[in-house]
Amino acid sequence: MTTVTGYDHPKATRRSKRSSSRSRLRFIDLIATGLLGLTTRVGRTVLTAGGIAIGIASMVSVMGISSSSRADVLAELDRLGTNLLAVQPGNSLFGDEVTLPDNASARIRRIPATQNAASLTAVQADIVRSDVMPPGRNGGMQVSATEPQLLDTLAGTMTSGRFLTDLDRELPTVVLGSDAADFFGIRSVENRPTILIGEERFAVVGVMDSLVLYPDVDRMALIGYGVAEKLFDTKPAPSTVYLRADPEFVEPVREILGRTVDPESPNSVNITRPSESLSAKAEVNKNLTNMLLGLGAVALVVGGVGIANVMVISVLERRNEIGVRRALGATRRHIAAQFVVESATLATIGGAVGVGLGAAVTVFYAKSQEWTIDVPIESLGLGIAAALIIGALAGLYPAIRAARLDPAEAVRPA
Amino acid sequence: MSSAMLTRPYSQAANAPNAVLELDSIMKEYAGKPPVRVLHDVNLRIAAGELVAIVGPSGSGKSTMMNIIGTLDRPTRGDVLIEGQSTASLSDAKLAGLRADRIGFVFQQFHLLSGISATDNVSTGLLYRGIKRSERARRSVRALEMVGLGHRVDHRPGQLSGGERQRVAIARALVGDPSIVLADEPTGNLDSKTSDEIVELMLELNDAGSTIVVITHDNELADRLPRSVRVLDGHIDSDTGANRTDTGANTGAQR
Repeated sequence: MTTVTGYDHPKATRRSKRSSSRSRLRFIDLIATGLLGLTTRVGRTVLTAGGIAIGIASMVSVMGISSSSRADVLAELDRLGTNLLAVQPGNSLFGDEVTLPDNASARIRRIPATQNAASLTAVQADIVRSDVMPPGRNGGMQVSATEPQLLDTLAGTMTSGRFLTDLDRELPTVVLGSDAADFFGIRSVENRPTILIGEERFAVVGVMDSLVLYPDVDRMALIGYGVAEKLFDTKPAPSTVYLRADPEFVEPVREILGRTVDPESPNSVNITRPSESLSAKAEVNKNLTNMLLGLGAVALVVGGVGIANVMVISVLERRNEIGVRRALGATRRHIAAQFVVESATLATIGGAVGVGLGAAVTVFYAKSQEWTIDVPIESLGLGIAAALIIGALAGLYPAIRAARLDPAEAVRPA
Repeated sequence: MSSAMLTRPYSQAANAPNAVLELDSIMKEYAGKPPVRVLHDVNLRIAAGELVAIVGPSGSGKSTMMNIIGTLDRPTRGDVLIEGQSTASLSDAKLAGLRADRIGFVFQQFHLLSGISATDNVSTGLLYRGIKRSERARRSVRALEMVGLGHRVDHRPGQLSGGERQRVAIARALVGDPSIVLADEPTGNLDSKTSDEIVELMLELNDAGSTIVVITHDNELADRLPRSVRVLDGHIDSDTGANRTDTGANTGAQR
């Protein structure tokens, strides 16, 4: 007890220094004080942050899953390009079906902005694997005549063998689309497989990879125009001409296509852009994503309301603490800031957990769907920022209530 | 203990004729129909180095007086001067600054934060002065040693006895070296033996120079302190130091 008299009591020096008393709380102490409320009530912190975590996790995973699902479509679109146009015969003014001119693809190739073009013409012939199969077992596979330029025009690739060349024009050789190859069980040309078209045995010289944008071609067996005409009486008028335009001049090319192909009735030519369907698919996906994001946002707001609730209760419970802090010199602002920091930290913890959870869900789901994993980095930052803002807003009302407590009232025993 | 009593520095109060605390015609009314008048025209001077009991039965107005002295509440009329500075026109934030700097509080229920150590609790007494954490901790340990709790610095309130908790609270009030310490029923939640120890501690701290005001309903406790101010029905009924306050003398040992 003798320590008491030994205590340095600098009263005399103190006076002059205390001309103006100001209450000050260092920023780092404000943060520490805010955190104190969380670390001393761990169970409550976990439960409250959980609400926010679920909201953020759902938003991050929706963004991640949708962008992963779109990543493959968009990558495909990127690879195939959006500069491919398809020309098909439409109807004349009088509703009659018109045919494209025989040399439509050659005419199109003369347009300077056309990089490549090739025509396809349906062949009226049955196709079966071999003569032991009954006729008609073709699984809906279609024989078509085409030109050697088709492969490049569609940016297609070969699984096995080669595509048709000019030399194949008159020869009984055939290239199979990927679905057709699967159906007939021919995945390689190594053993010189053959296939029966009409009465004639054709040598399979190549098998194509799947063409995502042109599933029709996947189901085709492709032969040369010469052999088609000779054996099956196929008229050379194309049923489709595919053309690849210079990417910068897709629209101008599209505008003059009708006139180029059929100067007499340019309006009876149908022009489509296959990539549009894929873009539309990605777009539909986006709408769904936005809807799900909206749901995630609702979850987040519910989480925020939860935080506000808990903070209001906390303020009631901690009346005495608030009173003591006021007595120790805290201003109303200090009290309010403490509760806002506490609430914002609470939500940010939830946000960080939610972001981790959302990313994990995305990776897991994308893997199960064999998609390319694409977790948008901005969604992670956004998730945490959103949690922080929600937390600060949720804490505002309780903080103001805490700050408004009358200190004399607050120090009184509960 | 007795040797400490003998070395009490009389000179300190004598050198400070200015009151540390002055209540100037305080009137306090609570709104209502009719309004309830809790304090009528209270005047009081407390000089530096005094140890004063404000004693009265419940409902006498002593709690209101304590809140007004501590600037937690404002009087309806009149002024509170802390070290000669008027508080009537100060803003809420300025009053908070004044409390942070010059007033220490000790409460009947201790009001410690349960989740943190004794040192951290004491250190909240310096938190709103913008002092660095390391410096706060250093001074807090010293204050704990001063109240005889040097061996309990890392204990949490839950691990301390009632008397020890009140010592922590006293250390928190003293750590900022305030002009005046207000203790509201500091022994109200303690058994008689522990109460004695707390009273002894306050006498010692007063010896060392602290100005302490104890608010209590306990006459026996009040009688042990150098000066007691009796409050009854909202006014000062008697003051054992009334004739001495104008000279500002601290005459506890002469009692």
